[in-house]
Amino acid sequence: MLEPLPGSHWNTTTAAHLMNRAGFGGSPSDIENLREMGLGKAVSWFIDYGKIPDNTPAPDWAHPDPDAIARREAINKAADPETRRLLQQQENQDRFTQMADLRYWWIRRMALGPRPFQEKMTLFWHGHFATSFEKVEAPYFLWLQNETLRQNAVGNFNQLLIAASEDPAMLLYLDGARSNRNNPNENFAREVMELFTLGEGHYTEQDIQQAAKAYTGWGIGGDHLHYEYNRNNHDDGPKTIFGQTGNFTGEDVLNMICAKPECAQFIAKKLWRFFAQDQPPQPIVDALAAEFHSHDMDIRHLMRAIFTSKEFYAPDVIRSQIKSPVQWLIAATRQLQAPLPTQAMTLVMLSQLGEELFNPPNVKGWDGGIAWITTNNLLDRYNFAAALVEGDRVPLPGLLGKMKGVLNNMAEDGLLQTSPTDVSALFSTFALSNPYSFLNALQARFLNAQLAPQRMASFNDFLKSKSPLEETDIRKAIRLIMCTPEYQLT
Amino acid sequence: MNNPLFTTRREFLRTTLLGGALAWTVPSFVAQTFSALHAQADGALTQVATGKDGPILVLIQLAGGNDGLNAVVPYTNDFYYKARPTIAIPSKQVLTLSDTLGLNPAMTGFKDLFDAGHLSIVNGVGYPNPNRSHFRSTEIWQTASDEDKYLSDGWLGRYFDNACQGCDPTVAINIGPRMPQAFSSHSPTGITLENPDSYRFMGSGKNDDETLAYRSMYTPNPDDNVFGGGENSGASVSMVSGTVTLQNGQSALDFLERTSMDAQVSSDKIRAIAAKTARKSNYPGSALARNLQLVAGLIGGGLPTRVFYVSQGGYDTHTGQRGGQDARLRELSEAVKAFTDDLAAMGEFDRVMIMTFSEFGRRVHENGSQGTDHGAAAPMFLVGSQMKAGLLGAEPSLAPADLTDGDIKYNTDFRSVYASILQEWLKTNSVPILGKQFPTLPIIT
Repeated sequence: MLEPLPGSHWNTTTAAHLMNRAGFGGSPSDIENLREMGLGKAVSWFIDYGKIPDNTPAPDWAHPDPDAIARREAINKAADPETRRLLQQQENQDRFTQMADLRYWWIRRMALGPRPFQEKMTLFWHGHFATSFEKVEAPYFLWLQNETLRQNAVGNFNQLLIAASEDPAMLLYLDGARSNRNNPNENFAREVMELFTLGEGHYTEQDIQQAAKAYTGWGIGGDHLHYEYNRNNHDDGPKTIFGQTGNFTGEDVLNMICAKPECAQFIAKKLWRFFAQDQPPQPIVDALAAEFHSHDMDIRHLMRAIFTSKEFYAPDVIRSQIKSPVQWLIAATRQLQAPLPTQAMTLVMLSQLGEELFNPPNVKGWDGGIAWITTNNLLDRYNFAAALVEGDRVPLPGLLGKMKGVLNNMAEDGLLQTSPTDVSALFSTFALSNPYSFLNALQARFLNAQLAPQRMASFNDFLKSKSPLEETDIRKAIRLIMCTPEYQLT
Repeated sequence: MNNPLFTTRREFLRTTLLGGALAWTVPSFVAQTFSALHAQADGALTQVATGKDGPILVLIQLAGGNDGLNAVVPYTNDFYYKARPTIAIPSKQVLTLSDTLGLNPAMTGFKDLFDAGHLSIVNGVGYPNPNRSHFRSTEIWQTASDEDKYLSDGWLGRYFDNACQGCDPTVAINIGPRMPQAFSSHSPTGITLENPDSYRFMGSGKNDDETLAYRSMYTPNPDDNVFGGGENSGASVSMVSGTVTLQNGQSALDFLERTSMDAQVSSDKIRAIAAKTARKSNYPGSALARNLQLVAGLIGGGLPTRVFYVSQGGYDTHTGQRGGQDARLRELSEAVKAFTDDLAAMGEFDRVMIMTFSEFGRRVHENGSQGTDHGAAAPMFLVGSQMKAGLLGAEPSLAPADLTDGDIKYNTDFRSVYASILQEWLKTNSVPILGKQFPTLPIIT
């Protein structure tokens, strides 16, 4: 077991760290409120979120659509290619609109909802049990999976694994829905062991082939609207998996996988990597895995152990992570005490920065860490920062060539605008009284830390001639601090 | 990660480039790239290449699944005409390449290149157990993986990991909104830009105080070790060679400082080149042509780039294929012809090779909508003045008994084409990149 954090180590820095990692960041007053709770209550506020009501309504289209099949048939039976093309185009447009809705609905929930940790965990599982709109195609199924992950986010991992595996989006994404007793598809059977539970080296090719038989029978009902078990499709003969032989069902196999200590290792390591640091030290992983395994794979228990540990608040953990684009955006709006940008602008930014939700780069989800950063999207972060801070006075970088026409129309309709940040609310009169105190307040709000000396010097040069500080200067300084390497860390 | 080539190159750098206290100035940054790639290429550890002699690879992705049979038409094959009663290209219309094959009539530019000895066509390229999903098959081509294996790094990313860690970021340039998976690597290399105008820090004015402050944060100072920062990054040798992985004791902050610097340096270079290369040349109006014109400008401007990546969409021709695909092929053919003419006029054509690829070919039989559905093997085009022009690889059989689920069986694994390019053109060992030795084709004269 990890060492508990001594009460004396609970301060603004450690509170800010918890706020950033368990949630999506916050303003100085958010952090101060958390600090005043004390460690135990603060951790409990995040992870025991069941006590906080969340009445967020589902998107209005998020229900089974009984007309979907009829529409598909109309497309297939269209008399001429032109009609077929137009019908297909309409169908595609509707689906794209629903996906845009779904993405923004979730981002709003992360940024503004009452249970930030539930959304952070859902985001973790979204990358873990990756599925993609490109293949799943049905927005309803993607919403359904998102709900499945949310409902099971901090429960028992074994139950979560079964729920996520029998979910229509997963059955479509990894071809389970196309698998049957005569022709078992191994795609899911391989990925569930390699990517969801054990990691490479802890199973054999034979385990995969035999497990694939056990998963047959899982599918999607004839109405294309829900999960359905089809007994006739299931291979109920004997299978030999991990050296045991039996007439295993798919759920039996998932239970066998979860019982292996390697599963606890794999999940504990991935959670530490996501919530704490990129290169998890083996002793920490071992301690967490033992705790997880001996507590019936209880995710909430493990997360409490992480968030109350001294190791989680170590100097090489705090501010060691590169912000994901989602973290970057939501934390920025909180620090700026500004509303989320419009749907169009939010989605353009996240897509351009490499985190289009429901569209991970591949079956492994997002790599995270340094993979978030390229020269191009670092410049994008710097320019988007200007859009957030300065509002519509700074043009959105014209990066999406084929979308340019669409974006121009959106811009004309005001959809890509943000208002300039109201900086009067962000800094006290004292903070604005001289460049030195302003730079301190700027760093406290936007970095929870200090700039490296070279950049500190650049800021001092920039500020020294500006007395008194005008609002335009303050906005420029905020934008500039968002253009530092330090700002990309959390 | 710890392969022998890398060790060799580190030694090379240590002994030849870093004999003295070499500062990380911009010029040395560029020299570094050339010497690293050159050392990788021929093992001549004392030679430092100049900016003008490196081979360049330009990839053109034909997204959506280009129908090979209507691009390179088997115009004497009865099976072809039987399978495609409404969309086959009449034998009289093809641009003849051989006794059995002819180009789609829209591809006059490619016909000119073929006649000039600058185009080779590799027949029947694919891979075992072909996947018919756009998404998955694209991933297979980008990562050069087996059909049942998932790799996160791209084949070109692995090339740069092996050949060129710590190189100038402009060594690989993608023109488009997103980094292709082919460039993904353990140690990210390369830049992505769509428009040189927006590949920059946008300040509120040209030399406003905000822009000046930004530049002062990222301008390399020869007297400072600006790539340092953390206490654990003081050793210049590991800085030069290992740089961007976080395994050498570097922090995420070090990585971000380095990438910010790369962005600033490459932004200035690219925009300077783009500004001065408003050259006269006859490019058509398509997006692909515009992007290739930008690539030509960057090549002519002397960037140390080894690989450029551009893409063209619209090949998913399930309906009304003749109109759609012919128009795309015309765009491709005209854009590539204009590009090669431009390169030739600049004296750069000899060091450029162009490769097209698509995630799959299409079904042999047309569907009910004058189109074709997702298929398997298809031809690839290679263009260059150093090419062994002509037809490579066995022509696939269209006899129904020889098809797999109605699709063409591959004769040449796409990784054989990659291996040939890596070994014969980029002069590097393909085994660490592709995982094993694939048979190579004679692509270079």
